[in-house]
Amino acid sequence: MREQLEQMRQQAVNAIAVATTEDALNEVRVRYLGRKGELTGLMKGLGGLPSEERPKVGQLVNTVKDEVENLIEQRLARAREEATAKRLATEKIDITLPGRSSSRGSKHPVTLVIEEVSEIFAGLGFSVAEGPEIEHDWYNFEALNFPPEHPARDMQDTFFVENELLLRTHTSPVQIRTMLKQKPPVRIIAPGTVYRCDSDATHSPMFHQIEGLMVDIQVSFADLKGILTSFTNQLFGQKTGVRLRPSFFPFTEPSAEVDIACVICGGAGCRVCKNTGWLEILGAGMVDPEVFKHVGYDPETISGFAFGMGIERIAMLKYGISDMRLLFENDVRFLKQF
Amino acid sequence: MKVTYNWLKEFVDFDLPPAELGDLLTMLGLEVEGTEALGCGMDQLVTARVVEKNQHPNADKLSLCRIDNGKEIISVVCGAQNFQQGDTVALAQVGSVLPGDFKIKRSKIRGEESCGMLCSEKELGLAEESSGIMVLDDSLPLGIPFFEAIGIKDTIFEIGLTPNRADCLSVVGIAREIAAKLGKRVRYPSVVVPEYGEPVNSRISVMIQDPVGCPRYAARYISGCKIAPSPKWLVNRLNAVGVRSINNVVDITNLVMIELGHPLHAFDYTQVAGGQIIVRRAKEGEIFRTLDAQERTLLATDLMICDKEKAVALAGIMGGENSEITDATTDILIESAFFDPPAIRRTSKRLGLHTESSHRFERGADIQMVPKALDRAASLIAQLANGSVANGQVDNFPTPKTAVSINFRPEKANAILGLTLSSDRMAELFRNLEFQVKPVTNGSFQVTIPSYRIDIEREIDLVEEICRLNGFDQVPATIPIAQVISDRPNSHQKLQKTVRNHFVSEGMHEIISFSFISPDAADRLLLGATDIRRNSIKLCNPLALEQSVMRTTLLPGLLETAARNISFRSLDLRLFEMRRVYLPVPEQDMPTEPIFSAGIFCGSRDQESWCNQTFPIDFYDIKGVIDNLFNLLNITNVTWSSDLPEPFYHPGKCCNILSSKGESIGSIGEIHPEVLKNYDIERTLYYFELNFEQLVNLSSERKNVIPPSRFPDSVRDLALLSPDNILSSQFMDCIKSLKLKELEDVTIFDIYQGEHLPKGSKSVALRLRYRALDRTMTDDEVQVIHSKIIKVLTEKLNVSVR
Repeated sequence: MREQLEQMRQQAVNAIAVATTEDALNEVRVRYLGRKGELTGLMKGLGGLPSEERPKVGQLVNTVKDEVENLIEQRLARAREEATAKRLATEKIDITLPGRSSSRGSKHPVTLVIEEVSEIFAGLGFSVAEGPEIEHDWYNFEALNFPPEHPARDMQDTFFVENELLLRTHTSPVQIRTMLKQKPPVRIIAPGTVYRCDSDATHSPMFHQIEGLMVDIQVSFADLKGILTSFTNQLFGQKTGVRLRPSFFPFTEPSAEVDIACVICGGAGCRVCKNTGWLEILGAGMVDPEVFKHVGYDPETISGFAFGMGIERIAMLKYGISDMRLLFENDVRFLKQF
Repeated sequence: MKVTYNWLKEFVDFDLPPAELGDLLTMLGLEVEGTEALGCGMDQLVTARVVEKNQHPNADKLSLCRIDNGKEIISVVCGAQNFQQGDTVALAQVGSVLPGDFKIKRSKIRGEESCGMLCSEKELGLAEESSGIMVLDDSLPLGIPFFEAIGIKDTIFEIGLTPNRADCLSVVGIAREIAAKLGKRVRYPSVVVPEYGEPVNSRISVMIQDPVGCPRYAARYISGCKIAPSPKWLVNRLNAVGVRSINNVVDITNLVMIELGHPLHAFDYTQVAGGQIIVRRAKEGEIFRTLDAQERTLLATDLMICDKEKAVALAGIMGGENSEITDATTDILIESAFFDPPAIRRTSKRLGLHTESSHRFERGADIQMVPKALDRAASLIAQLANGSVANGQVDNFPTPKTAVSINFRPEKANAILGLTLSSDRMAELFRNLEFQVKPVTNGSFQVTIPSYRIDIEREIDLVEEICRLNGFDQVPATIPIAQVISDRPNSHQKLQKTVRNHFVSEGMHEIISFSFISPDAADRLLLGATDIRRNSIKLCNPLALEQSVMRTTLLPGLLETAARNISFRSLDLRLFEMRRVYLPVPEQDMPTEPIFSAGIFCGSRDQESWCNQTFPIDFYDIKGVIDNLFNLLNITNVTWSSDLPEPFYHPGKCCNILSSKGESIGSIGEIHPEVLKNYDIERTLYYFELNFEQLVNLSSERKNVIPPSRFPDSVRDLALLSPDNILSSQFMDCIKSLKLKELEDVTIFDIYQGEHLPKGSKSVALRLRYRALDRTMTDDEVQVIHSKIIKVLTEKLNVSVR
C-alpha cells in the first residue's frame, strides 16, 4: 500500500512537471484527485485495511494528496503567469492614432476672461451686479458727472435709440444703479456689454467691460492700489509690475490709468507696448463727490473707488490676438483653440 | 500737444535726459504717447564739402561728386542740380538711417560707386517738400554731426493731454509742471515792447456787445510791418511741433500760442473798417468766408468779430479771408481775447471746423494771459517784421475775474489718499504749483488758484493735486479695512455658468455676435406680419444698415455665423450663443433684456475618424442636448408640442417646448429651406432657442434621491407591431400610467418600417428592465408585471406583439 502510494506520488509529480498548460494541469488534477482519480481511489480502498492501520495510512494518503494539490496550484499559477506574459508580449496597438472621443466644445475667450476676472474679484469679496444695456442718459452720463457738452455724449461716439435712450457706452451706469438700490457698504463688479460708434482693428462697436465699485467708511486711494495690485498679480502673474499714473475721468477724482509691465516683452519695450514697457489695462479712481451726491450718499462720511477695464484688451493680451475683429468673426477654427 | 526738450529748457532748468523727462511727464498725468528724436542717433549724417562736381559718365541727370567729409575724400552720385563745387552739404554716410527707416548703403549707380547720399530737407525730415539738396552755411566745420552743426538736435514729445488740462496746451504750461515737480521756478519770457508815441486808441476801438461770449478783448496796432518768410529758427521750431510756416507775422502768432497757450489773431488793419472791432453774435443765415476759402453759413448763436461794416473773423476759431495778412500788408491789428468755451465748442463742432485756436478756447484759455500774450507777439513782430508798435493796448475787460479760493483740510486729503503727509509738505506742494496757501483755523488752508488752472474748483481737486505732485508711485498698496459682505453668486449667475458648461460638454463652441442686426432679418426668418419679434428697437445712428436694430432672437447671428463658417469649409458645426435679446415692453420706455440660449448644428454627429462611421446630425441630437440640460437643471414635466410651429422651422421637424404651466421655454427644429436660402446656406441646419430666464424659473434643487437597489435585474424585450402614427410618447405614457414601481427603466431600442411589415405599420422594440428595491424578483413575478404592460399597450394603442 505504502509503496503503491509512493509510486503514485512519484507519477503525479512527474506528470505535473511536464504539464505546461492550464488544460494539461487540470487533466492531471482529474487523474489523481478527481472523483474517480487514482489517489481518491486509494482513499476509498482504505476500508480493506486493518482498523489500526487505517488512520496511519489515511493520514499518509492525505499528505500525498495535499502535496499533489499544492504542486498543481503552484504549477498552475506559473502557467497562468507565463500565458499572460506571452499575451502581453504579443499584443501591441498603435498609440499614435487619435483618441476616440466626442469633440470638446469651448467658451468664447471673452467669456473666459469675464469668468476669470469675476472669480478673482469674488475672492476679494466683490459680488456681481448687472444692469441694462439700453440705458437712460441720466445713468450713463448725467449721474456720472459728464458735463452736457462732453464729447462722449456726441452722436459720433454714442448709439442712441428711441425714447431718449442710448446703448450704454460703459458699464459705469451699473455703479449708479447699485448705489441707488443699496446703502454702503458696496463691493461689486459689473461685467457687461457696451457699445460705441467705432469700428476698426482695435475698436469694435460692441465690446465688453468689467466695472468695479467699492464704497465704505474710509476707503482710500491706497486701498484701490492694493486691490488692483492683487488683481493684476492674480491675472497676469505674481511678479507683474503695476503702476498708477494720473489721468482724468468725469466720475472719479483722483483718477488713474493703471499700467502693467508689458506681458510680451517684460518691460524691455516692444511693438505691443509701443516701446514704453507698459500696457494700459484699467482706468480707476476715487468716486467723485458729485457722483455720491447724485445717488444720495454723503461724501463727508463715506468714500469709495471705482475701476473699469476692457475685456477684449485683456483677452488680446492673454491670448496674443492682434486684431479685435477676430473675436467677433466667430470662426470655429479660432474658437476651437480655447 | 507737441513740445520739444530744448524749448522746455528755455523755460525751466532741469538735468534730466529726454527719456527720464518723458517718464516724469507721464507720471504727472501728461502722458507721453510718443517721442521723436530729431537728429539723435544720426551721427553718421555729417557736414561735408563738394570738392568736385562732374557729370556722371553714364547718366545725363546724375552728377558724380568728390566729397570731403572732413577725414577723407569719397565719391557720391547725386541726382540734384541745385549745388556747386565748393558748397557745404549734408552727407548721409554709409550706415546712416534717415527718417522713414531709410538705410544708406554703399552702392553702384550706373556703374559708378556711391558711398553715401547728399540729402534734401525732406529726406532729413525737416520739411514736407523740398527741391534739391540742402546747401549749408559755408562757415560750418566739416565732418561734424549735421543736426549738431545746425543746432536742432532735439527730442519731440507727443503728449496726450486729458481734456481737463487746458493749462498744459503750451510750452510754458508743461514747463510749469516740470518746475512744480522738481521744485524749480518757471522763467517766463521777458517782454519789452518798443512803443512809439501814437496812442493805440487813436487807431483801434473795441466794443463788446456780448460780454458772456467774450469777457475780454485786447488789441494792439502795429504799423510798417514787412511781411516776409520767417527766419530759420522760427520755421524749425514750428515744424518741430507740427505747425506749418506761413509768414513772419502769422508764424509769430502761432509761436506765441504754442509758447504761452493763448491763441492770437492778426488782421490786416486796413481791411478793418474804421479800426473798429465789434464783438457780437452773427445774424441768422449770415454767410461768412473764412481764410480757408470756405463759405460758412452762420447761426444767431455764433460769436463773430466784426468791424463797423462786416464780419472779419469767426471768433476764436478762424479769421476771415477779407482781412487776412497778405504779402502787401503793412499795418496790423493783433487780437488777444478770451472767449466762452461752450460758445466756441458749439460753433466749431457744428461747422466741423477744428483749429489749434478753437481747441484751446473750447477747453478754456487763461483770461489773465490776454495782455501778456499780446505784448509777447507785439515785441516779436517789432523785432522780426520791423513793425512799429503804437503806444499801449486796448484792453476791454468789463468784469474782471477774481481768483478762485478753496478751503482745504490736510487730514481729509490723507484719509482719501491713504497717505500720512504733513501739512507743511502739502503746503510746499501747493506752493510749487504756484498756488497761494494761507493757513486758517483748525489746521485747514485757504488755497488760491492761479487763473490758468481752471480745472481746480473744489477741495477734491486739490486732493488730487497733492497726490499727483507727491507722486502716484508714493501711494502705498493697502488692503481695505472693510465690513465683510458675504454674497455668493445668485442662482441667475450660477446657472449661466452651468448652462454654458453644459453646452461646452456637448461639444459646442460659444460665439458672440453683435446685438444689433439687419432690419430685414424678420423677413428672412419668415416671421409672420404680427409676430412680436418684428417689433425691434431701432438705433438712431447706426454704423451700417446691417447693424441698425436690436435683435429679438439669436437666430440671425447664428445663421450668419454658420454661413460664414460653411463658406470656409468648416462643415461640422456645433455653435451656441448665450446673450441678451431686446424686447420692447408696451407702455414702458425701458425694454426688457432677457438672456436667451441658442444653438445651431450642421454636418456630422461625430468627427470623421478611423474608428467610427459618421452620421448626419438630426433633430434627435439637438433634442438630446436639451434633454440633458433639463436633467442637469432638474427641470421636469416639460411638454414637447408640435402645435403652432415657428415659421423658421421645417413644419414637420420641429417642436415647441412648454412648461407644465404651458409657458413657452423655447423651441427646436430643422431650419426651413426657405430661410436657408435667404442666408445663402446649402446645408441642413438644426437650431434650438431657449429662454434662459424661464430655465432659471423652472430649475430646482435636486431632492429625494432614490438609493439604487442592491438586487439583480431582469430584462425583457418586447417587439410590437404598431400603426405608424402612434408616437413614442404614447407608448411611454401608457406604460407610465401603470405606475409600476418594479419597472426600473424602459427604452425604445429599435424602430423599423418597411419590408416584411404591413403598409402603414411599424415595428417598435422596447427593452424593459425590472428590479425590486427589497428582493430578488422571481421569473413569475416579472412575468406578471410584463403581461400587464403588454395588456395595456395592446388594449389602448391598437398594437400587437410580434
